[in-house]
Amino acid sequence: MVFGIVVVNVLLAQTSFRLASAELRLEELSQEHLELVSEQASLSAPGRIAAWASRHGMRLPDDIRILHAPGGRQADPAGTDSLIVGANGSRGRSSP
Amino acid sequence: MSRPPARRLLALFAVMVFAFAAISVRLVVLQVGQASELQDRAFDQRVRTTELPAQRGQILDRDGARLALSTPAADVYADPQLVLDPWAAATKLAPLLHVDAASLAGSMSQDGSFVYLARQVSRAVAERIGELTLPGVGLLDTSRRSYPAGTVASQVLGFVGTDGVGLTGLELGYQDILAGAPGERTNELGLSGQAIVGGIDVEHPPVAGSSVVTTIDRDLQFQVQAALANAVRSQHARGGTVIVMDPRTSQVLSMASYPWFDPNAFGDSPSGTYRNRAITDAFEPGSTNKVITAAAAIQEHAIPLGLQLEVPWTMPVGDYVIHDSDPHGVMRMTLGDIVAESSNVGAVKVADRLGSAGLATYLTRFGLGHATGIGFPGESNGIMLPLDQWSDTSLATMAYGQGIAATPLQMASVYATLANGGRWVQPSLVRGTIDPQGDFVPASRRQTRRVVSAATAHMVTRMLAYAVEFGTGINAQIPGYQVAGKTGTARIPLPDGSGYLEGQYIASFIGYLPAGDPKVVVTAILDRPAAGYGGLAAAPLFRRVALAAITRLGVAPAERVSLPPHALPVG
Repeated sequence: MVFGIVVVNVLLAQTSFRLASAELRLEELSQEHLELVSEQASLSAPGRIAAWASRHGMRLPDDIRILHAPGGRQADPAGTDSLIVGANGSRGRSSP
Repeated sequence: MSRPPARRLLALFAVMVFAFAAISVRLVVLQVGQASELQDRAFDQRVRTTELPAQRGQILDRDGARLALSTPAADVYADPQLVLDPWAAATKLAPLLHVDAASLAGSMSQDGSFVYLARQVSRAVAERIGELTLPGVGLLDTSRRSYPAGTVASQVLGFVGTDGVGLTGLELGYQDILAGAPGERTNELGLSGQAIVGGIDVEHPPVAGSSVVTTIDRDLQFQVQAALANAVRSQHARGGTVIVMDPRTSQVLSMASYPWFDPNAFGDSPSGTYRNRAITDAFEPGSTNKVITAAAAIQEHAIPLGLQLEVPWTMPVGDYVIHDSDPHGVMRMTLGDIVAESSNVGAVKVADRLGSAGLATYLTRFGLGHATGIGFPGESNGIMLPLDQWSDTSLATMAYGQGIAATPLQMASVYATLANGGRWVQPSLVRGTIDPQGDFVPASRRQTRRVVSAATAHMVTRMLAYAVEFGTGINAQIPGYQVAGKTGTARIPLPDGSGYLEGQYIASFIGYLPAGDPKVVVTAILDRPAAGYGGLAAAPLFRRVALAAITRLGVAPAERVSLPPHALPVG
């Protein structure tokens, strides 16, 4: 009877230590996960990617060109502001 | 062997009796009289309750990209009374903490039993410090708020202090939601600090904070800030503000004011950069306000759309003379021409037909003079005098946007209303929250109200498209897209209210596209740019931001709207 109680207590103690160890490991892994999430967020930040691209000679386009499917309307090509403004200067004032 | 004297035995007996009696009395005192108190003291010594901090929620962009999150960290402290050799400890700690060794040694040599050596160091650094096993130096678990995208949307996000409480921005506004609730753990510990098996072990787990999902598009925000910084530098401006909104929902896709700051190191920037000026600061909007005058006149049938008014370049109003930006002879202009050419005199003539009460009604309906209720700390109401306090010149000046002040957000909301067919939708910065279980909880429904009819909004859109195609907004044109927008060049009031700064302006351009089916509203404002005028300084910034927005959001061109009735030649 006494021996049985002692054995049960020992087993309980061992389980308790294993549980505490597992909880500690879980905590460490949770913290590591958070750090990895933070690192992933930093690596995917647009500023970092833009800086990397810039170092490799890339840059954002100065303008974009809109292409239409056949049968659609013909778009003004990029960089034709002067045509849209008009050459006579009577309109297209860009002041206030 | 002689027997001890009886007197000595008697004395010894007496001493023993006295000792036993004393011990007995003491035992009675301890086990009966002080039993309860001593049991409590013993309980307190072996039972410890520690607070379990709650994980602060994250702040995400509209697609779930993380804009703010908390990571494990540690505070490094010292007990100077236990530090054996301050200089030796400081020499070992200095390279890890990136702090001057002399400063550390000084901290560890001062009076007292507790001093922080560093706050919120990373876990890796904390582990290395722990491995040093320096006497008197310890670590406290904490967390560190980090902003992975750096300056991106910093004024919207705000930041938290070293105690983990939000101090500005959404971090402050959503403090209760982000913070969660701390828990606590109570357990019995042995001398070594190890938990006693089978002893008391009660845990009330912390409740993690919810995450806040914003309406901000992180990548668009980055491009907007790049464009704004470039415009401010090239125009030698004091600063600038850009807002990008979806007119159908009034969700803010991007919002920035230059100069900004890095919330990871907010102490390195002036406190003025923390303000989200798009929401907290009001400015006189200038000619961008003429859309309200035009919309009110159309809605109230105050002027036939084809009517040609005679518009000189100056006009006396009370004791003042108002004038258009450039001298011109008497011109015949329709309401569309007045909007497209941004004529101050024309706007005043239209406002005269509308009347003060009429204009005041529509200024209010469009949301001026009242905070939008976006849910951001410190939102300004703007400044609009009550109608009964208007002076002889108020109607005239408000018709073209002076003598009234609005936040950039309020003005963006005015244009979003027109782009949304005349229905005002309360702007928002937060789509909802994600609770600790991972369930998305949408934000409460936004208020809406009809301001003008869809027909009126469409007519104003035609006038704004006309302004961009042939009027003052030509620098906002985007090939392939029809843009509707309006320039603004507003004088800046002197701080004492005695007049205006000479030759210095707030340049703005606010518009939306595609004009036929608006998907994006862009507000671009520059403070005292070298080019002065909104059409020259702010319209190119609008164009750059609008290009980024339609590219990022995949906005396709739409059917073009026709020009409004006009008297001035086109083409």
